[in-house]
Amino acid sequence: MRISLGPCQFDWGKNALKDFYRRMAFETPVDILYIGEVVCSKRQSLTPEEMVDLARELGPSGKEVVFSTLGLVMNAGEEDLLYRMAVAARSGGWWLEANDMGGIAVGEGRPMVAGPHITTYNPETVVFLQRVGVRRVVFPVELSALAMGDMIRRHGGEVETEIFAYGKLPLTFSARCYTARAFRYSKANCQFKCGDFADGMTMRTQEGVPFLAINGTQTMSHRVYNLVDETDRLEAMGVGVVRLSPQSLGMAEIVAVWKDRLQRRMSGGEAFRRLLELNGGEPFCNGYFNGRPGLEFVEPEVRPQ
Amino acid sequence: MGKKVEVLAPAGNLPSLRAAVDHGADAVYFGFRNATNARNFEGLNFSLSDAEAGIDYAHRHGVKANVVLNTFPQADDPGLWYRTVDQTVTLGADAIIMANLALLDYCHKTHPKLPIHLSVQASASNAPAINFYRRHFGIDRVILPRVLTVGEIRSLRGRTDVDLEVFAFGGLCVMAEGRCYLSSFATGVSPNVEGVCSPARAVHFENSGGRLKTRLGEVLIAEYGPGEDAAYPTICKGRFDANGQVYHTMEEPGSLNILEMLPEVIESGVVSLKIEGRQRTKSYVATVTRILREAVDSYYEAPTLFRAKGKWIRELNATSEGATHTLGTYEQRWQ
Repeated sequence: MRISLGPCQFDWGKNALKDFYRRMAFETPVDILYIGEVVCSKRQSLTPEEMVDLARELGPSGKEVVFSTLGLVMNAGEEDLLYRMAVAARSGGWWLEANDMGGIAVGEGRPMVAGPHITTYNPETVVFLQRVGVRRVVFPVELSALAMGDMIRRHGGEVETEIFAYGKLPLTFSARCYTARAFRYSKANCQFKCGDFADGMTMRTQEGVPFLAINGTQTMSHRVYNLVDETDRLEAMGVGVVRLSPQSLGMAEIVAVWKDRLQRRMSGGEAFRRLLELNGGEPFCNGYFNGRPGLEFVEPEVRPQ
Repeated sequence: MGKKVEVLAPAGNLPSLRAAVDHGADAVYFGFRNATNARNFEGLNFSLSDAEAGIDYAHRHGVKANVVLNTFPQADDPGLWYRTVDQTVTLGADAIIMANLALLDYCHKTHPKLPIHLSVQASASNAPAINFYRRHFGIDRVILPRVLTVGEIRSLRGRTDVDLEVFAFGGLCVMAEGRCYLSSFATGVSPNVEGVCSPARAVHFENSGGRLKTRLGEVLIAEYGPGEDAAYPTICKGRFDANGQVYHTMEEPGSLNILEMLPEVIESGVVSLKIEGRQRTKSYVATVTRILREAVDSYYEAPTLFRAKGKWIRELNATSEGATHTLGTYEQRWQ
């Protein structure tokens, strides 16, 4: 299995993002880097033209670079951005990762990735997507191992599969900005508040239990989803790529642990313990993979096989 | 002025369908009693014979009937979904409402004459996406997700030939529909697959010391003090703690109600105004359909003189949780 670094979900600013991707490309063993703003077009993230420059710069690392499109495209300006992304990606032969059917539409006929925000729930959908150019599918995060394994077995095509395997889960998009709302701003006058929360703003229940992370127009899991102790199963399912989602701290170390695990230099349990340390001892979740509520952590001895 | 905008009413059962027809709906929509549609609540929806009777009743009154088939079949048992597509044709429904690429492909190839409405669950909010569905599956209409402002809808109208349907009244999904995993995150039950958001079997109410706690799965969605009205626990209408305050972090309970913007919505070029609420009672369907009918007719009598009557708003508020309403995303500042 290969390792991908998913598109950064957070508003870190252009320069920090570029530095991050350079470091990941040249100093870590990731195989694929997804770059591009997925959450909000208002953010000052990389323009399609800047993405071309960055992808060229990352070229010598030998890593595959993919251009990720917005998760929710809502107006003419965002449609323009989509078309510019498609043109930019074609200019260097990079693939697009479509995260909205508008992304599939502008990438049609060229090799592309159907991102986790495309609703791929059955093998017939994989077959259809392949017909319009999709070469790799990232499954929706809520799918269980059983459902994904079944789809991989049955679609019968050449499409590679990728699974969201590490990071805060992207759960939903809205037209409304919940970070702005927390400051009683409107989205139109958001003051770019999401930029102050490098890994999202924690949302707790009234009992004080951390539950979700607010990230602008996106809502994520508070807990980090972690499948590092399931790599044997992922391999047996035929998964091609595991996706690690960027976070502000320790990303290079996290990638290194995954690489060690995939190369069997580390046991699943050891890799898990190491990642737990890197996560400051904060509990992980893995419920979705085990057919349970996504927020749960299912212990190894009670996981369904 | 173009064709008069349609009033489209929900039906969770046969009595509601009749109520909708009797109170002035131009069209009704319903789903079958299983996981094939996104309102798979216990005791709700249509059997095959209900569907026959319902379509017959609607057609005899000159009302259209649309069948909803808007969940995503999973690999183990897709047969039920495909059979339902075929049944919809046999029943003589006026349109089928779908979201899944595989089903759309099947329906378009097998039943090219059956009009397809792209479900809100497909979350198609932009021209490239909508036109893609038109190109591949010949969709006639798209039900727009509740993420666009009226200005954005008007502008979109110029970039696609597909008819636009919008939500006019009822429960307000504040997320991009069909791609929201909040409910399954807390309950393990996927609205996309099993057709139900915040399933009743995962809901718990706890009463202690005059305080009421509502839970979805293990998650506390809100805690209410004495005298406060409790809402059915859905995560996006819950009360949580963020940025040092306890508040409705995403949205307050209440209804979407576009009446105050009805002229702008109609003039944006939509063909249909949809009432949400297949899970609601017959009297809800009757009340909301009657008022929407009255409002739409009143607009066409004198478009520039239209104003939302206070009694309409009061009656509509009375049907909704929290007894309040919002223009939601149709109004820019809501975002």
